[in-house]
Amino acid sequence: MIYLDYSATTPVSYEVIDTINKVTKEYIGNPNSLHSLGVKSKELMESATNQIANIFNVSAGEIIYTSGSTESNNLALIGVALANRKKGNHIIVSKLEHPSIYNICNYLESIGFEISYVKNDSEGLIDFDDLKRLVKDSTILVSICAVNSEMGIRQPLKMIRQIVKKENFGTLIHSDMTQAIGKVSVNLHDVDLASMSAHKIYGPKGIGLLYKNSNVNIIPLMYGTTKGNSLRPGTPALPLIAAFSKAIRLANTDIEKKERFINLLNEKIVEHLKKYPHILINKTKYSIPHILNISIMDVMSETFIHALEKKEVYVSTNTACSSGELSTSVMAIYNDLNRSKHTIRISLSKLTTTDEVNRFLQIFDEEYKKLSNLK
Amino acid sequence: MEKLIIIKYGELSTKKDNIGYFLNTLKNNIEKTLSNFNYEISLDIGRMFINVEENDLEKVLKELQNVFGIHEIIIGFKDSNFDISAIKENTLNILKNKEFKTFKINTKRSNKKYPLKSMEINNIIGSYILKNLKDIKVDVLNPEVLMEVEIRQHEVLYYLEKIPGLGGYPVGTLGKGLLMLSGGIDSPVAGFLAIKRGIKLEAIYFESPPHTSIEAKNKVLALAKILAKYNATIKVHIVNFTNIQEAILKNIPNDYLITIMRRMMYRISERIAHKNKCLILVNGESIGQVASQTLTSINCINEVVKMPVIRPVACFDKLEIINYAKKINSYETSILPYEDCCTIFVPKHPVINPKVEKAIEYEKLIDYEALITEATKNALIINISANENNSKFEDIL
Repeated sequence: MIYLDYSATTPVSYEVIDTINKVTKEYIGNPNSLHSLGVKSKELMESATNQIANIFNVSAGEIIYTSGSTESNNLALIGVALANRKKGNHIIVSKLEHPSIYNICNYLESIGFEISYVKNDSEGLIDFDDLKRLVKDSTILVSICAVNSEMGIRQPLKMIRQIVKKENFGTLIHSDMTQAIGKVSVNLHDVDLASMSAHKIYGPKGIGLLYKNSNVNIIPLMYGTTKGNSLRPGTPALPLIAAFSKAIRLANTDIEKKERFINLLNEKIVEHLKKYPHILINKTKYSIPHILNISIMDVMSETFIHALEKKEVYVSTNTACSSGELSTSVMAIYNDLNRSKHTIRISLSKLTTTDEVNRFLQIFDEEYKKLSNLK
Repeated sequence: MEKLIIIKYGELSTKKDNIGYFLNTLKNNIEKTLSNFNYEISLDIGRMFINVEENDLEKVLKELQNVFGIHEIIIGFKDSNFDISAIKENTLNILKNKEFKTFKINTKRSNKKYPLKSMEINNIIGSYILKNLKDIKVDVLNPEVLMEVEIRQHEVLYYLEKIPGLGGYPVGTLGKGLLMLSGGIDSPVAGFLAIKRGIKLEAIYFESPPHTSIEAKNKVLALAKILAKYNATIKVHIVNFTNIQEAILKNIPNDYLITIMRRMMYRISERIAHKNKCLILVNGESIGQVASQTLTSINCINEVVKMPVIRPVACFDKLEIINYAKKINSYETSILPYEDCCTIFVPKHPVINPKVEKAIEYEKLIDYEALITEATKNALIINISANENNSKFEDIL
């Protein structure tokens, strides 16, 4: 099997599975219980949270656990929107976001919020002049992903923050960092809120977090007990939280070295596919090497994916969350409908080997020849 | 030109004969605080210099903001070339990466042998900057960017960014004190203020299981950890108070429960302080706040010890204390709702004006000497360090 869909999800690392096992077996107490079993669980939970807080240089109270990035995005956008209604009703997002952001925006629009979509240039970079123009007195939130999920475009969040805060100091900044963490270094001080998920960094599915600067007020989406986690109530998923913390620690070591290695693999694939006149490489200077998007203009994406799958090679069309539709990011950057309907996303990992890439290219060539000859 | 952190000392610079002792203590404290980083540190009478890796800069700056004895933390550049053309060029290199409309150059010249005067240097650099950067003006009254250039004996320093330090004296320079740490809002603040004046603190906590919970103890340890950030490490003495508390409950009339309990705590604290070479007791009593903190109560309780008792928050209003607690991040922990020794068994009507003679008379009802000797002997010691990295859960996390 050659798995090249790491941006959809990753296999859980053995060390992390150990943590899930151990905590599930040995830490049976509810962290909110008063007895010593509860206290033991609570201590572990606090240590896990402190570890995450230290890695990202924030304080433990600024971390809210959720079920994953989609929930974090909901809590961030709806939570900020509802808490700031008196200040304004305007929200700005980019055209390179994950579908969950757009669906939340549609909902917010239906209850009276105004949504603007900031332009980007032909390299995928946010258009700073357009952003400056869009921010107004009633702008309560700007949400821009750190790394885009379809083409891996990385945004300069520090610049974006400076521009937004200069226009309106009260405007909050949220970033969906799901595709960024573990791949490139991020600075949470560039934003007021950030979404993350464990399953993209070799952690379990079902756990994510929202970073929320302690000065930011949001309204919870769920109501339960008031103990400890009033913004996202419910018994803490301790085995998942401990696993998430470990996954973050492991993912944040040697980020640059891993990135350099993955870049070599990426360049190898690009170099190989460039020779095909009907294959377009959807890559700009802001794309991170972990995500490689291409458009195969003379073969249907879905057909090609299933052809590869028969040879046990796994890639995706665009993001797993919008499969079957056109790639909004490719559309936003190249403004070419045909090109955005024919995308394939190959996502690479530190686990990918040169041998796997070679075999992938060989299978790719065989299948591509077969399918393109049919036309 | 090398980038580095420059430390300016605060009140320290007024010390004369023992300044070396103060500076060395400060240097040791900084070394303890930065033990997780790679760095080089050097010092002279006026300044301390720290070189760190660029990636660690932000984290190191954050750590330094918790060290007492530092007046100002400066991110600057150092160069040994005194040539005026090099000084002009260096200043331009620093400023060209900044966005600003107005600026001012401020030169200080502690090397009085330097051929140019400060004002002349200001003019030379200023006009060079004006010539080389577009759309900027000099504003001497209210500049957006204040570029400081210091001509010293062995080097020239350049800097723009300054962060205020905590002030105070380096911890340990004034000796040791024992903090009576309860778990409330006041005692951590009192501890912080004592540390600020250079006192190295140890802490004492009274637990009364099963009447008080492990969570109450953990809360106090969490507060100690917050103080450890300023104190490098903190030794916490945990005294089992159950037998004494139960004896008091059984034998002492209700209105004197708290008075007698506090007298016992003071006695034990003084003994533990003596044993550990602490010169004073520190606590979070605030005048008038509760029945045991009226002036008569303080007299009646303080009477059992000879050691000086320092009460840093004695004259603060509750709101002032809360503001401090929020500043040092102890507030959220302090308000966690766990019962401690002082809050269980609180009588409905504690005596507001207790009398010493009466307290002594009541105490005769229990054999307290044996009880406090035992409690003192069995006190448990936990060492808490601010840098401790989840070692307890190493196999899991």
